[in-house]
Amino acid sequence: MNNHKNMQKITQVVLYAALVIVAIIVVAPFVWMVSISFDRLANIQVPFPPTFIPDPFSLFNYELVFENGRIFSAYLNSAFVTFCSVFLQISAALLGGYAFSKGQFKGKKLLFIMVLATMMIPIEARLIPLYTMFNSAGLLNTFWPVIVPSILYGFGVFLAKQFFDQVPDSLREAAQIDGASEFRTFFQVYAPLAGPITATLIILSFMGNWNEFVWPLVVLNSERLHTIPLFLASFSLENGTSLAGMTMALATMSVLPIIIVFVFLQRYIIQSIALSGLKE
Amino acid sequence: MKTGVEMPANVQTRRNKSIKSTLSWYVFLLPTFLGVACFIVYPVFESFRLSFYNSNGTIETWVGLTNYQRVLSQGAFWNAVYNTFYIAFFQLLLAIPIGFILASMINRINRFKSVFKVMFFLPNVTSIVAAAMIFMFVLQPEVGLINHVLDTLGLPTSPWLSDPGTSKWGVILLTIWHWIGFVIIICLANLQAISPELYEASEIDGATGFQQWLFITIPNMAGTFAFLIIMGWISGLQRFQEIFVLGGAGGSPGRSLQTMVALIYERGFGGFEFGIASAITVLLFLIILLFTVLNIKLTRLKL
Repeated sequence: MNNHKNMQKITQVVLYAALVIVAIIVVAPFVWMVSISFDRLANIQVPFPPTFIPDPFSLFNYELVFENGRIFSAYLNSAFVTFCSVFLQISAALLGGYAFSKGQFKGKKLLFIMVLATMMIPIEARLIPLYTMFNSAGLLNTFWPVIVPSILYGFGVFLAKQFFDQVPDSLREAAQIDGASEFRTFFQVYAPLAGPITATLIILSFMGNWNEFVWPLVVLNSERLHTIPLFLASFSLENGTSLAGMTMALATMSVLPIIIVFVFLQRYIIQSIALSGLKE
Repeated sequence: MKTGVEMPANVQTRRNKSIKSTLSWYVFLLPTFLGVACFIVYPVFESFRLSFYNSNGTIETWVGLTNYQRVLSQGAFWNAVYNTFYIAFFQLLLAIPIGFILASMINRINRFKSVFKVMFFLPNVTSIVAAAMIFMFVLQPEVGLINHVLDTLGLPTSPWLSDPGTSKWGVILLTIWHWIGFVIIICLANLQAISPELYEASEIDGATGFQQWLFITIPNMAGTFAFLIIMGWISGLQRFQEIFVLGGAGGSPGRSLQTMVALIYERGFGGFEFGIASAITVLLFLIILLFTVLNIKLTRLKL
């Protein structure tokens, strides 16, 4: 018995040791990024051998980045585009998911399969027609083409349907005996119950839209409209591996908001991601 | 007791009500279906149509299958297909087993589970563009972090992204780093869904922890692996962002990183050859479709 206990203890120690080593490897690039961003001379010479504590500590790279100012407009653009897209996606997903869950109408099954199938058609397969479409509408270099297509959120509709399937139908029946229309039933009875799934959808949609790259790259040519990922990519393409200090300061500033959100909401974010991979 | 006169009126209102209700369901679905029609159905058909034309967005001439002929006889296309498959294949081959092993380890420790979950998941929440920027320096041959560590350990270093022969492996490292947290979270969620009775029964039969892992855990995770392979392939075939940051639309060095989407971008928005780019798009779309169907069939994944 004692032997067995000792074995278990040793196993635990080995597991922790291995996990800590891997965790250090995974986190090291972030720490290194932050360290270089505070190194005054890194734009000329990246410190070698690599250090994880900048010496001397300097805010010089951040001053350069702030002087440039483009990072702020990129933040604002990203915030605006993300807010609008998330709002559209959540509204459409809740409405659609509710209809597919509680509705009885012709073609329901076929329509639902169609919505699911859209998840397999990536933006890449639609880039050129979408581009010519928004081009002939005269909407290139505006935020419209980035925001409007968000209205289709197949995965969100799917998750919302799964959620509403678990809410009993008796609530509907009660509301409708009282004479409530389908819309009133949704807005006053079911939507207020949808808090948990709405939170999940907000998280997934926020991360997706904040990091969106290919489509905005195609339609937002004007620098003043660039979102964070576009701004980073253009800076990086212009400078390659020179200007390490500034590059890392920008990278740090760009990952900071999402890391803050992640640290506060990590439990829910991890749950939502796990949910997205669980099949019923 | 209801009278015979009331009945038809009742049926009438009920039918009216049900028509009204059906209509309102369609209104609920209106936003989604406007989206499907405008941003999926129309563009997919338009891509297909454009692939038979020589087009720069304004002037169109019918050329039949010429675009396909040109694309399929070009080395650039096959190079892009090769690069895309190579990176995606090795990303999956390494990330899924490593992620699963790490998830199994986290599942077995008694405390600090969520600390490790958070740390491993951190790369996945940062944008791949920022991750690529960081890795440009991490993989830098002279002053980069990885070569320094390899050198310190007495292992051979590599030119990574600066040499066409090794650049794909630099990207593979980046994609594994970025994706592994997702693999771990999905594996953990499904590990916890395996019925504990299976383990209890085998314990009575005297199975060791490792035997349990091999004969109970792994078979029970088949559906999870299938899900990860499908997700990984679909996103792998769409790889573009990290390539674009590291090597531009051409995928330098020496086109060794150019993926299919990068080629579409280069021909479509660099050269305004919409016909050619659309033909590549249709081919990419067919490949994605083929792989999805194949994967679903092979793994009998329940959707």
